[in-house]
Amino acid sequence: MSRARRIAAEATGTYRTFIRRRTAVFFTFFFPVLLIVIFAGLVRTQSGSGGLFSEPTGYYVPAYLATVVLFTPLSRVGSTVARHREGNRFEKLATTPLTRAEWLAAHTLVNVALIAAASAVLLVALKLTGAEFALSPWLAFFVPVASVVFCGIGAVLGSVADGQDGAIAMSNGVALPLLFLSETFVQPELFPAWFLPVVDLSPLAYFARGVRAATYSGGDVVTNATVLAVLAVVAFAFGAILIPWTE
Amino acid sequence: MDPVLVAENVVKRYGDAAALAGVSLSVDEGEVFALVGPNGAGKTTLVRCLTGTTTPDDGEVRLLGTDPTVARKQRVGLLPQEFSPPDRLTAGELVGYYAGLYDDPRDPETVLREVGLDPEDDTWYGDLSGGQKRRACVAAALVNGPDVLFLDEPTTAVDPAGRRALWSVFEDLAAGGTTILLTTHDMAEAERLADRVALLADGDVAATGTPSELVAAHGGPTRLVVETDADDLPGFEPERTAEGLVFPDVAPEDIGDIVAALDDAGVDFEALSWREPTLEDAYLELAGDVEHAGLDSALEVRR
Repeated sequence: MSRARRIAAEATGTYRTFIRRRTAVFFTFFFPVLLIVIFAGLVRTQSGSGGLFSEPTGYYVPAYLATVVLFTPLSRVGSTVARHREGNRFEKLATTPLTRAEWLAAHTLVNVALIAAASAVLLVALKLTGAEFALSPWLAFFVPVASVVFCGIGAVLGSVADGQDGAIAMSNGVALPLLFLSETFVQPELFPAWFLPVVDLSPLAYFARGVRAATYSGGDVVTNATVLAVLAVVAFAFGAILIPWTE
Repeated sequence: MDPVLVAENVVKRYGDAAALAGVSLSVDEGEVFALVGPNGAGKTTLVRCLTGTTTPDDGEVRLLGTDPTVARKQRVGLLPQEFSPPDRLTAGELVGYYAGLYDDPRDPETVLREVGLDPEDDTWYGDLSGGQKRRACVAAALVNGPDVLFLDEPTTAVDPAGRRALWSVFEDLAAGGTTILLTTHDMAEAERLADRVALLADGDVAATGTPSELVAAHGGPTRLVVETDADDLPGFEPERTAEGLVFPDVAPEDIGDIVAALDDAGVDFEALSWREPTLEDAYLELAGDVEHAGLDSALEVRR
């Protein structure tokens, strides 16, 4: 119970801090809606035309979800780690019973909750624009587990960055290529053949493939879910170990 | 009884610079121990070694008889230097948050009242004054009722009244048996609170002792300064300085004799001040700092 109490205390503090940052709240939920307005509303997909956005809107559901699943935890956890280090908060926490893993678990919980809410907003917005996709129960697996993956990676980035600005720049530098090179907005057949094995290195590719199989195209959900779950464990472990708890 | 804190030949380097160059000291249970020293002397680095938040390159540290990284954290409290907790929490929420990290914390509201903050105040931490922020941070360090408390410059940016209020809190804790290690640049703080003081300079302990021992050994003599244009006073051997005539080692009861001698000799003077050596004098002597400006006068008489 002590562990649960500590995680709850950390998560409550984190949630309160986030919810009181109006700009952070606004952009967390506004960013995915903005993307839908741009791509699903303004650009619109051109089915069968070949090239970018040539698939029906339902094909891009994993891509829209990826914007929140990827960007929110990477930038939030990364900058939070940097902010904690700059404010000597880790030095303080290291003298309490809270552990690195508990700290990251608490921040991951808050991020998962926020991302789940933002994803729900996004899915409703997509349905309202007429996108055809299934609301698969697998979404309740892929969204949280992918969030854990990127919370872990965010913690790694925040730990190696030399400050908040560096953490945000690094998270953007990682997130943007991942977003467009992970079978999300760009179909794999548009990549050169030699590049396709590189796509397999992206955790986001397994999220995109799994969600797409579950909600749109059908196919192998379980393999992608398994790979993503393993990556979540690995990313969380690396993130927790690297948090600069001590000098 | 084993000491609560022990450092033995602790060395810590950052690149080529040695922040600690073989520091040894120990702090007994219930003792208030102050670390003083110039900026960069290694005070914060030593605190970090003793709390286990950094690892010495050489030497040994023990906290509560064991390695600091495995010591019972329920029993340890820390107020880090330049600590910046979440700014969108109220002081009550902040202290409540830290209380939630311990198994058997004290009541946050009680702790907040002890440091002079209103638990009902809904002002966010980021909007508090500098002194209120530091008090909230002190409360966060006390909320687990620690047996060992590390305070790294606890009253920085706190106004004089607030500083004295916090001193009272620390004195109550010490009276209750809490072991306190504090770092400070405020010699009055060290002199008032500490049972023993260690001066760190260039990463090593230059001197250790009670405040009175350090003052007696390094503080120099009492000084009577007579602001006058005269160069001498018959029957005495004052030193002529820019301040005026300086009479060392003058006991308070002898001041009247000197004033009478000044009048007898027809020496006109603007003012007369007498002061005892303080811990600050001892510090400046030990730290090799010759800036004696701004020292308090214990007695000053102006004509």
